[in-house]
Amino acid sequence: MKKSYLTLLLLPGLVFLAAFMVIPILLTVGSTFYHEGRFTVEGYLYFFKDPYFLKILWTTLRVSLVTTAICMLLGFPTAYFISQQSPRKKALLLALAIFPLLTSSVVRSFSWTIILGKKGLLNNMLLSVGLIQEPLNILYTPTAMMIGLIHLFLPLIIITLVGVMENIDTDLVKAAESLGANRFAAFCRVVIPLSVPGLIIGGILVFVGSLTAYTTPALLGGKQQVISTFLYQNAITLNDWYLASVVATIMMVITFVIIMIMNMLANKLNPKG
Amino acid sequence: MRHKWVKGLAVLTIAGLIATGCSSKSNEPNGAGNTPAKGDPTKLVISTWGFSADFFNKEVYAPFEKEHNVKIVVEDGNNADRLNKVKTGGSSVDLIYLSDYYAQQGIEAGLFEKIDRSRIPNLNDIYDVAKAPLGEDYGPAYTIGQLGIAYNSKEVGKELTSWKDLWSPELAGKITLPNITSTSGPMILDAASIAAGNATFNEDQAMAKLKELNPSVVKYYSKTSEFVNMYSQGEIVAGPIMEMYVKDLKEAVPDTKFLAPKEGGYAIMNTVNIVKGSKNKELAEDFINWHLSKEIQEKSAKAKIDSPVNTTLNLTAEEAEGITYGAETINKLHMLDMKNVNANLKNWIDRFSREVTQ
Repeated sequence: MKKSYLTLLLLPGLVFLAAFMVIPILLTVGSTFYHEGRFTVEGYLYFFKDPYFLKILWTTLRVSLVTTAICMLLGFPTAYFISQQSPRKKALLLALAIFPLLTSSVVRSFSWTIILGKKGLLNNMLLSVGLIQEPLNILYTPTAMMIGLIHLFLPLIIITLVGVMENIDTDLVKAAESLGANRFAAFCRVVIPLSVPGLIIGGILVFVGSLTAYTTPALLGGKQQVISTFLYQNAITLNDWYLASVVATIMMVITFVIIMIMNMLANKLNPKG
Repeated sequence: MRHKWVKGLAVLTIAGLIATGCSSKSNEPNGAGNTPAKGDPTKLVISTWGFSADFFNKEVYAPFEKEHNVKIVVEDGNNADRLNKVKTGGSSVDLIYLSDYYAQQGIEAGLFEKIDRSRIPNLNDIYDVAKAPLGEDYGPAYTIGQLGIAYNSKEVGKELTSWKDLWSPELAGKITLPNITSTSGPMILDAASIAAGNATFNEDQAMAKLKELNPSVVKYYSKTSEFVNMYSQGEIVAGPIMEMYVKDLKEAVPDTKFLAPKEGGYAIMNTVNIVKGSKNKELAEDFINWHLSKEIQEKSAKAKIDSPVNTTLNLTAEEAEGITYGAETINKLHMLDMKNVNANLKNWIDRFSREVTQ
């Protein structure tokens, strides 16, 4: 079979993506520059001059970045441990790691309200052992949002990292050790650098997921809005689809910028690059 | 391949995500199977919230289907989603149930058919305020509920009587308020204006008064279920809520009391309208008439599903417990002018976000 025929196989997928993703996104972005019959950037100026919106944006970025960082820190050792197991154990452990993804985020967020509440599990425990005198105020704060998001997205980074780590040739570690590196040095100078691509891809997944998450912030966050709940308010309650599209475009641009930055970092850190 | 199973798991995960994320919203009431064989039944599409579906299927839809050889199809969801669906066109909805504030949006967007009042004789039996809350051309309210304050009397430790009591120190850090974007949000704004001592609505003072209350608020709720959850888990001890939901609160906290503030509660009216372009306008009018009938109004009041608007029914004190009932109660309620609310809402939401919740 000729190669040119093979590219035809791409066609159904491409048509689908074009019709249901590329064109709608272009239309959304396009509509933000054309309002009430003329070209305009007013929508963007409106938002970026508005301290209230900037505060929402900042909270969202902060929550997403912290969530990503903590997911990386927690996910890395877990993934390394899993990747070192026998195939059977690995399958079992991965299934366990992924298990939370199989329940809906609504259910998970509700469970957290029971754990984190003023009369919740956590506060009751801390109060009864005398660590605190007054119940901690966690639920309905950005911290609660982060906890929910970490629970939601940790499996994503674990899956990606395990995929990358098990492809690291164990001979490389052995070689490093035979050349005088201790286990820790071998881990730091061989395993970590080679895992960077997985860390970056996982990080991007977590970051984008946190940035766009709606259910978890809506249920666990308090008075502080994030960008997705703000978008929902504009679109559904105010019925202002123009401003909602502007917010959506801003979200997309932020996502792309962050992905680019992470890729650049990855290229710098990757020993092959 | 060493990591084939990883891919397998990933696929499984994604499938799981999709399965948990998307679920069909449409459901069809049962009881449609026994329609008499006099030709194919007409399809009547009703857009409604979807609560108490069993009751509506059995007591409201099924008898109507039988009598008129109709098959009723229900599309459920919240006010905003359903209104948007009709607005974007291409839906086959004949009748739409909306709270008054969303119905007003629909009217302003020109989405509804003008109703023929002569075809709905039961309108004569309902409260005057419910007959045409949004104008003679549009649908009636089939239920009037009351927004007051529910509180945990044991935790609060004193009797509440007024909207002003929301500002009392006993409740500091333990209340919720409806979000300004929800149906009852503007009512709280009005109540704040009253609490600040105004006889007519004063926007600036209402905002200032709410700002004063902001530190007390754990969270602004958008859905009643959020209120019920926070309340039953002890996160809050009081807050404004519709009388109809107090029974859910009592289940969790038996010491729950409902207060119709002495300044008056707020009327929350749910209306029914015929969507423009409906091919079954007369049938839809018959259905509205049926929903306003003594029979249905009494049944839904006794089942504590909707407070009645039909004045011909007599409920015992026990039957009226937990619902908003009686001319005396209804006459005391404040009614917000929905045209005014719609005209100002964007500004209110803006000010609320910037001045109150910061």
